[in-house]
Amino acid sequence: MRYLMMQKAGGAEPDAQLYADMAAFVEELTASGVLLATGGLDPVGFKMTSAGDEITVTDGPFTEAKEAIGGFALVEVRTKEEALELCRRFRKIVGDGESVIHQVYGP
Amino acid sequence: MTDVSATVGAVWRQESARIVAGLLRLVRDVGLAEELAQDALVAALEQWPAGGVPDNPGAWLMTIAKRRAVDHIRRSRTQERLAPELAQLPEPSQDDVLRLMFTSCHPVLPTEARVALTLRVIAGLSPAEIARAFLVSEQVIAQRIAAAKRTLADAGVAYEPSRQLASVLEVVYLIFNEGYSATSGADLIRADLCLEALRLGRLLAVLAPDEAEVHGLVALMEIQQSRSAARTGPRGEPIPLHEQNRGRWDQLLIRRGFAAMLRAREAAGPPGPYVLQAAIAVCHAQAHTAEDTDWVRISALYQALEQLLPTPVVRLNRAVAVGFAQGPQAGLDLLDDLHTAPELADYHLLPSVRGDLLLRLGRTAEARRELERGASLARNTAERAFLLRRAATLDVPEDQRPRLGPAVADFLDSLGPATARAYGQTLHRVARAAGVSLPLAELTPARVAEIFATTWPSVAPRSWNRHVAALRSFATWADTPDLATAVSPRPVVAAPPRPAVTASEEGCALRERVLWCLLRESSAKVGAVLSLNVEDLDLADRSARNATIVWRSGTARLLPDLIGGRTRGPLFLSDRRPGPGRPPAAADLCSETGRRRLSYERAEYLCKRATGRTLGSLRGV
Repeated sequence: MRYLMMQKAGGAEPDAQLYADMAAFVEELTASGVLLATGGLDPVGFKMTSAGDEITVTDGPFTEAKEAIGGFALVEVRTKEEALELCRRFRKIVGDGESVIHQVYGP
Repeated sequence: MTDVSATVGAVWRQESARIVAGLLRLVRDVGLAEELAQDALVAALEQWPAGGVPDNPGAWLMTIAKRRAVDHIRRSRTQERLAPELAQLPEPSQDDVLRLMFTSCHPVLPTEARVALTLRVIAGLSPAEIARAFLVSEQVIAQRIAAAKRTLADAGVAYEPSRQLASVLEVVYLIFNEGYSATSGADLIRADLCLEALRLGRLLAVLAPDEAEVHGLVALMEIQQSRSAARTGPRGEPIPLHEQNRGRWDQLLIRRGFAAMLRAREAAGPPGPYVLQAAIAVCHAQAHTAEDTDWVRISALYQALEQLLPTPVVRLNRAVAVGFAQGPQAGLDLLDDLHTAPELADYHLLPSVRGDLLLRLGRTAEARRELERGASLARNTAERAFLLRRAATLDVPEDQRPRLGPAVADFLDSLGPATARAYGQTLHRVARAAGVSLPLAELTPARVAEIFATTWPSVAPRSWNRHVAALRSFATWADTPDLATAVSPRPVVAAPPRPAVTASEEGCALRERVLWCLLRESSAKVGAVLSLNVEDLDLADRSARNATIVWRSGTARLLPDLIGGRTRGPLFLSDRRPGPGRPPAAADLCSETGRRRLSYERAEYLCKRATGRTLGSLRGV
């Protein structure tokens, strides 16, 4: 089953050590076939709303910086516990903060 | 708060391969390495709930496991001054995992054992999970894994860094196909096997990055997996590739497949079978609609694949591709060569593909017959229904001529039951191969000869002649004299005379020697001899059961030893006592030894193994 893990922005200031640890972590997950896709998100973004025929586009930011989603990873694991364990290891590397995890419905 | 035991399980599945692989370098025995790793897991279950999950659980488990391994080695080799550096072994490396993969897929193991052991030690699945995926009992899997570990330990292959890559690839693709071929909703669990195979493949691609075939296999699996949502319709019916809704293909997996294919191209060397199959999959994935498919390139790739893997299924697929690239007639010409492949005699896709090609040529009546024939051969109900629906949509003018299937049934009805049964075996096979709805008038002698050659390629002349007799009898009844000439009987060569006693018999057990000698000297039926009881024998008269079975000096010399002191009960006894589950009839049980009567099947097996001949052939020589 697939899980989408989203990281809220914030946490420790990135330093060289964090970059090296993250690179090793991503490399390991890719090698074991768990990590399908990953990416960082621009915290600003823009919003589109529709009401009847009317379309409104609003430029961000919309939330406090630490509430915005800063990045995501799409992983393929066997159980929810495996997803949790991966996220726990990720949080150990990047420091305190919040991740939101959703299972992705699929075949 | 999370459940710690669930976390331990998750960690185990992610880390077990590396831990077992690292230990294997120390202890050189897969079974022992896995046991030691399990010890570490038990320690985790005891300590983590109190102390919390460590930051790097994999390293924690490895440390404990290594300590256990060193203890074990110390205990088993006390006389050796153990080097303290044992404990400072380097962390398990990628090479260790690769070596473990080669070991668990070692060719000394039977294929099923390779699959089970790989899923156990590399994928970290429990025997229960493996059993569920393969639809067998957990006990069977546990035994399979235990036997595999024993074989590896006995064969001493555990520490060989051998290069049996083909075997590893085969196991991975086998696991993938096991999951992929299950299409129905009830088999969703088996879809997990595809994911395990993908994981194993991706892992292998990192471990052996210079092997083109590894990347080829990964590309092939990623792209095949990308179609999983589009492969079946709402009723579970299979949807052929060129009719699938391409919008449902998983673009993420397709792109991963393309990337793997690029890596395969970067690795040098001529393309192997997996790279070629992946290249074909890439061609399909690149086409935005079925009409865009580059069939010319695909048929060229199939031609190259056929050079490496000239299997009938590859040739069938090539015919499909050529049918699209050069027109249906060209495809049909290739199929005609396949009619005589025994492997495809009962393969439903051959008539289905033929039906498709005939339809495109406008030969609707023949197309419909082929689709119906395909349906009669399909094993999967969804597939059968699909083919029948397709056949039913074809507009074919009513044909009043007699059909092969009904004609055979009418013919058999006109015979006595014994003859009908004997002839039926032949004629039903012929009818099924030619198609039961084929008009009798369209069955040519050449086609019959082809069916005979394909269906019974290497039968003994006597059996062949029985089939010929059945066909001729039918041809006469149906007033189609041509068919009678299609096949001719074969001369029956008399078997060469057999030696009376072979040297190997002398070394055999007493019971077997008496049985064979008695059969030879008495010419009695095997069943009658095996049913003899001790009290039936008249040793002085060299006869039994009122002199219907008589023997000569050879048997007379051996018999007293076989009887021993027994006074009644079966003469020939089996080696073992019967189990409690299946008590034998009282008459078949020896009251003195508690053993049962030797069964015909067992006696036949022993005789064949020792002499290469059947019991019946020993009579009257």
